[in-house]
Amino acid sequence: MNMQATAIGQQNRQVLLVLALCPALAVSDTTVNALGLGAAALLASVVACAAASCLRRLPGQVQWPIGVLVLTATIGATSLWLDAWLHELQRALGIFLPLLVANAAIQLRTQQCAGLAPPAAAMLGIRTGGTMALVLLTLAVARELVGRGSILHDAGRLLGDTAGTIDLQLFRADMGFLLAMLPPGAFISLGLLLAARNWFETRHLHEQEQDR
Amino acid sequence: MSARSGHIADITLLLGSAVILAALLAWISDSTRERIYRNEQAWIQQRLDALVPPRSHDNDLLTDRIEVTAPEILGIAGPITIHRARQAGQPVAAILRTVAPDGYQGPIELLVAIAYDGKLIGVQVIRHRETPGLGDAFENRDRGWLERFRGRSLADPPQQRWSVRPDGGDFDAFTGATITPRAIVKATRRALEYYQANRERIFAAEAPQ
Repeated sequence: MNMQATAIGQQNRQVLLVLALCPALAVSDTTVNALGLGAAALLASVVACAAASCLRRLPGQVQWPIGVLVLTATIGATSLWLDAWLHELQRALGIFLPLLVANAAIQLRTQQCAGLAPPAAAMLGIRTGGTMALVLLTLAVARELVGRGSILHDAGRLLGDTAGTIDLQLFRADMGFLLAMLPPGAFISLGLLLAARNWFETRHLHEQEQDR
Repeated sequence: MSARSGHIADITLLLGSAVILAALLAWISDSTRERIYRNEQAWIQQRLDALVPPRSHDNDLLTDRIEVTAPEILGIAGPITIHRARQAGQPVAAILRTVAPDGYQGPIELLVAIAYDGKLIGVQVIRHRETPGLGDAFENRDRGWLERFRGRSLADPPQQRWSVRPDGGDFDAFTGATITPRAIVKATRRALEYYQANRERIFAAEAPQ
């Protein structure tokens, strides 16, 4: 009974994480967008974990609301800062930047961070947020390569003039493989990525068993 | 009694952190406001300059503007901004920042530049959410499409052919997407109609300061 409950609990967390990825997937159509949202996700994740850890001594009822306040303030400040300094990028990320609060709030709620000292919790936040940023970036590179035949499309426009020359057109796709650019492409790519991960994991397990 | 004081402590804590964070956000918002405003202006200026070359006029397009509301001609309820280009006080062109409300995925924001004589200088899409690869052909596959408006006017083509080819008009639609070009053609025609009916008033109105 206990084992079943744990299994369901763990499964739920994975389901939650995949669900939380959904809004993020929408901006994984170009590398630059994914970099922007990935960086913001990393920041939100670190803040969420550090907040959960710092607030653990506070009475239970106010921990959660104050944590959410800190998170929303962080994302709000990030959004303003982007609007001022990377205007076009902020515009491209649109509604998905504020939606990061939902992702990070899940982390705020997990007991994992609250059990650690602030520095260790921040490290955990870096690991979690970094993984998410990496997933986004992998998806975006794959989708942009297949859909547009380029890497860092529009980097000059989105990141300012200094990045103007890093836009790489590898071949003329001209939106040839359109599916990769449309929302279903994000889910197909995510599915392939998860499949690859599972394949690696089972192969690893298999090798361990053989070694024994 | 102690439970009550505990509650009060909680409330103070929550209110205190809310006030501190709000003050912090207000400070950031205040210190970035001017830069965000400048970004917005630069963004529009860039698009205006692309349509009406800076050497063709000697006034500041950004400040020489009026807002008008004409739902019955323009087909949109809200006000639109009209920028006016002048050379030595003489009107050169008007740029209407209008909206095609019937895009495939919501409104398409347009800049329609009209020379003083009523001929189109150009049309630019400044914001849209059309389907990538289909409805946004004007910025990928069919880049020249918007160019075809150049030099047109309400009399060219004649009014009944001011629509896309599937509707019996003179303008090509995109392969696989008719709704987007239809919306853009319609909004452009409406902008021209508004201009024709209000030309003198557009250039005479004082810019609100």
